[in-house]
Amino acid sequence: MDPMAEIRETFFQECEEQLGELETGLMRMESGQTDSETVNAVFRAVHSIKGGAGAFGLEDLVHFAHVFETVLDLIRAGRLEPSPEAMRVMLRASDALADLVRAARDGSTTDPVRIASIVSELRQLTGEPDAGDAEDDDFADIAFAAVPVTIETEAALPPGWIVRFKPLADLYAKANEAGLLLRELGRLGPMRVTVDAESLPDLAALDPEGAYLTWTIVLDADCTEDMIRAVFEFVEDDCEIQIERNLPADVAVAASSSAVAADAGQPSDDEILALLRNAAASVEAPAVIEPEIVVAPPPPPPAVSPPPEPEPASASAEAPAARNDAAQGVGATIRVDLDRVDRLIDLVGELVINEAMLSQRVFEAGLARASAVMTALDELEQLTREIQDSVMAIRAQPVRSVFQRMPRLVREVATMTGKQVRLLTDGETTEVDKTVIERIVDPLTHMIRNAIDHGLESTEARLAAGKPAEGLVKLTALHRSGRIVIEVEDDGAGINRERVRAKAVEKGLVSPDAPLTDEEIDNLIFMPGFSTASEISDISGRGVGMDVVRRSVQALGGRISIASRPGKGSTFTLSLPLTLAVLDGMVVSVDGHTLIVPLSAIVETLQPRSEQVHTLGVDVRVLAMRGGYIPLVDVGAALGYRAMPAEPEKSVALLVEGEGGVRAVLVVDGIQGQRQVVIKSLEANYRAVPGIAAATVMGDGRVALILDVDAIVSVTRSDNLRVDASRVEPILMSAS
Amino acid sequence: MPVASSLSILIVDDQQTIRSLARVGFDAIGIGEVIEAEDGEEALKLLLTRKTPIHLVISDYNMPKFNGLSLLRAIRAHGPISKTAFIMLTGRADKQMVMSAVEHGVNNYLVKPFTTEALKEKIEAVLGTLT
Repeated sequence: MDPMAEIRETFFQECEEQLGELETGLMRMESGQTDSETVNAVFRAVHSIKGGAGAFGLEDLVHFAHVFETVLDLIRAGRLEPSPEAMRVMLRASDALADLVRAARDGSTTDPVRIASIVSELRQLTGEPDAGDAEDDDFADIAFAAVPVTIETEAALPPGWIVRFKPLADLYAKANEAGLLLRELGRLGPMRVTVDAESLPDLAALDPEGAYLTWTIVLDADCTEDMIRAVFEFVEDDCEIQIERNLPADVAVAASSSAVAADAGQPSDDEILALLRNAAASVEAPAVIEPEIVVAPPPPPPAVSPPPEPEPASASAEAPAARNDAAQGVGATIRVDLDRVDRLIDLVGELVINEAMLSQRVFEAGLARASAVMTALDELEQLTREIQDSVMAIRAQPVRSVFQRMPRLVREVATMTGKQVRLLTDGETTEVDKTVIERIVDPLTHMIRNAIDHGLESTEARLAAGKPAEGLVKLTALHRSGRIVIEVEDDGAGINRERVRAKAVEKGLVSPDAPLTDEEIDNLIFMPGFSTASEISDISGRGVGMDVVRRSVQALGGRISIASRPGKGSTFTLSLPLTLAVLDGMVVSVDGHTLIVPLSAIVETLQPRSEQVHTLGVDVRVLAMRGGYIPLVDVGAALGYRAMPAEPEKSVALLVEGEGGVRAVLVVDGIQGQRQVVIKSLEANYRAVPGIAAATVMGDGRVALILDVDAIVSVTRSDNLRVDASRVEPILMSAS
Repeated sequence: MPVASSLSILIVDDQQTIRSLARVGFDAIGIGEVIEAEDGEEALKLLLTRKTPIHLVISDYNMPKFNGLSLLRAIRAHGPISKTAFIMLTGRADKQMVMSAVEHGVNNYLVKPFTTEALKEKIEAVLGTLT
């Protein structure tokens, strides 16, 4: 990639981080935390965006950020009060800034009228109608001669190096030749070579393959040390190399003495921090609070700056905090191309499969009894698992990036609906796979819109019900039993079950006399074609219903459900897998095929007795269980492995639960065990097959299909799953 | 007249974007060695622990934790590195800030965003014409 394009990409990545900081900081300021650190962080975020934008000629962005920055600068200097009104304008400005950044990135446009109106609001805050903070670029009167620069001593060093080169026996053994290396070195400049044969033994004692010679080269070349090292690059492990500057005697003494001084003063991290803290303490106090004082008296000579300034109390109180911050902030990070991580994950997936295959081969070879082999295998398995977890952790990210987008959404929807809303978030640091994070943005956005638009009552209705005028929406993320659970909770009126039911009947989704529990009625809102809003509003509407939300969550291997308390509010619960790459599964046999049933869907396993099985109509069978009837699905028949359903009493039954708590009993021939499997996309390798979610490769190298429980369960309600899955495995096998 | 290829320059900025842009400029000028630091602490550590000298520090003013002015003060106050040339990078031409940096011994300033020409001009103003 062209370097500027690459930097531009980095810039937009950093902008996202800074927009996040900006949002967080502004929220903090809004809640009354207007300490200088918070205000400065907010200022810096806008300032950094402006700085980078300028480099790429993004004029709209620079202009807007500049006006915004001016306001923040006034607050920072204590010349503008961060009043609620000012905060409101700044929050709107941060939204606009985010829009401008994204418009610049995607080459799209923003609404110029809206931007202009925010700019004028910002300017009203500064009290200067025009860009009052005209940049003063005339520094001609400032003399920059304060400190003499001693670059000359360095630059005046006579060009030249002394290189001592002592090949080891290995160098010759690898067919390198000292003479060729010296010739190479000679290309850098004129040189004088002397050979030291002192250590050459008598002929009798001489090892013909030994190395005894040392060369000293005085190189009269104006080159860098790296250029010399490059000559010896391929033999650096097989020789001793010393490179030093060829200094005249007096300079050499000075250089070596300063080197000693530097070595003696090799500072520890604590000392470095102390140096900086002293400098910061003596610089910042006057500079921020009383700028005039800094300019007036001459500054104290730097060398004698006394370590503890006055105000010992505040200095000692702040020191440990600063120390902590520094320690936390130092955590080094690298940016890695996502493709590389994914490639690694793929390879680790292969490793897991290979480990399973190896273990199976060992069993088949009858080596299982050899305890040393077993121990080694166990260790390998443990290690593989750990590698897998670590690799998955690379892709894991805190949900913060998604949560950070929500305050803005809440503000927008609150304004559109005329409701007062407060958003509380919890668990932003909960980590989950990057892909999962990217793909929950839309469902979550929709759920939040829905919670405000449909969940929360109007202000009047709330006051009439004795609730605070301000509605509450709570967004929580947590880890629960190997999944991430995200809850969207509102303190609104709860689901109006009468209305939901009437609507469902009217739309023909349920029959008027269907006996439905409260929970079942609540979950009707996820049915396709259902929408409680009497007219599709622009807010929660956008032509999307909760059924679409559910479908996108399901596509991620997730579940969504709702719990509603009339008059008190509703809670939507999203449960998602932490990663999309592996799955805990139950390995089952069906008509000679091996299938995987996701463990998360299985409620229990049981052995049906013949008196439990009842037949309804021609081919619908149900299982009597704990006073109720649950539909039976013969997996073999559903997937087209066999024409006739197996006899349930000779089979094993798995009670599974699909979306919305719909249960069914799956009939399979037998259970082989449980294992973690690496998910291989069927779409990517073959094509989508109804009833099958994905495929995996088993320990014996065979392909096993992973059952799509929801699709199988839906067979009990309609007959749309007619598929011949028996042909899939051979195709996959031949393709792999 | 310093030789550009024999110069070591330390660029300090909390934004990778600015560090990368500066590097592009340094490469165009032919600077021999470019070292990056994310903040004042990392910068000072590099200055104090490196065996070969760093000739010029170009540092952002507004950074988290310790700002550019603190870094400048710390450098000027520490004997072995106190003579290191220092150019302050600023996002806005804020005369008062530049003034206070001058009080603390800054050798020049550079306003972001900068062109390669501006970068070269400022380096030359401090170190002399580059060859």
